[in-house]
Amino acid sequence: MSQDVYEKLQAMVGEEAGPFEAPNAVNEAMIRHWCEAMEDGNPLYSDEEYAKKSKYGGVIAPPQMVQAYCMPPLWPKKEMPDPQAKAVQMMHEAGYHGVVATTTSQEYFHPMRPGDRLSYKIQLVSVSPEKTTRLGTGHFITSEYTYINQNGEVVCIQPFTVLKFKPAM
Amino acid sequence: MSWKSIYWDDVGEDDELPTQTREITRTTIVATAIATRDFTPVHHDHEAAQREGATDIFLNILSTGGFIGKYLTDWSGPEGELKKITIRLGATVFPGDILTSGGKIAKKYTDGDKHLVDVDFNFTVPMGPHAWGTATVALPTKG
Repeated sequence: MSQDVYEKLQAMVGEEAGPFEAPNAVNEAMIRHWCEAMEDGNPLYSDEEYAKKSKYGGVIAPPQMVQAYCMPPLWPKKEMPDPQAKAVQMMHEAGYHGVVATTTSQEYFHPMRPGDRLSYKIQLVSVSPEKTTRLGTGHFITSEYTYINQNGEVVCIQPFTVLKFKPAM
Repeated sequence: MSWKSIYWDDVGEDDELPTQTREITRTTIVATAIATRDFTPVHHDHEAAQREGATDIFLNILSTGGFIGKYLTDWSGPEGELKKITIRLGATVFPGDILTSGGKIAKKYTDGDKHLVDVDFNFTVPMGPHAWGTATVALPTKG
């Protein structure tokens, strides 16, 4: 990549957007919809009687669901500034037309209960030097989502890495 | 319905988790995309997927996370608590693929009062590994 664009991307590292609020509180309808699609029968997610006797004292949402609550609405369109998307776009314009998600991770700190209001921030955490991979030559771009609830408790931290590359011939 | 629990006391490193298989249909891909609130056209619109260079619609990443969580707590029982999941992504999952899930306990340890295992998991489709990585699960103890 031209040194110029790489330097611009390096300068963006640390850039943050948000907090953005989830459009809906954590709720049982979305939990059920999720469990049906995943075929997840965990009674903590669906059986009030079982969940009441558990250490949570009631139903919780599957922890992996955190991002689903924070997805942008299909309508009306909403601009969600995202420094990773901006970095990907800049690389696209610099001739790196391929993109593939390579790694994602979630660490959970606090359960989500129906009624919880979630919000998240996203931060650009790194842009790697140029690497040559099986797919082509490019850069790994990593951002980190931090999800919190209405009490300011961190629910989940989620790093996410994409490779933006010039496809190998 | 009663639920079994896997106790930390009873597991050991290199123990294998039971294998699960699921046929991923078009309905699975669309239902999971919408349940994860991901309306990106490649997960429900065949022509849009082909325009992006894929042969067909394919499973989205959030659903891979959902499947991994389900796989782990199906094994541990509801008292198993997901602490961390790290996923490396490989081959795409297309309609008709059989997704095979497996795992093995890589590490058994304690951290403060938590009794933990790291499970190395592997989700494969006929084309190759779809997702693999490590998940940390806190298990109940008999004590």
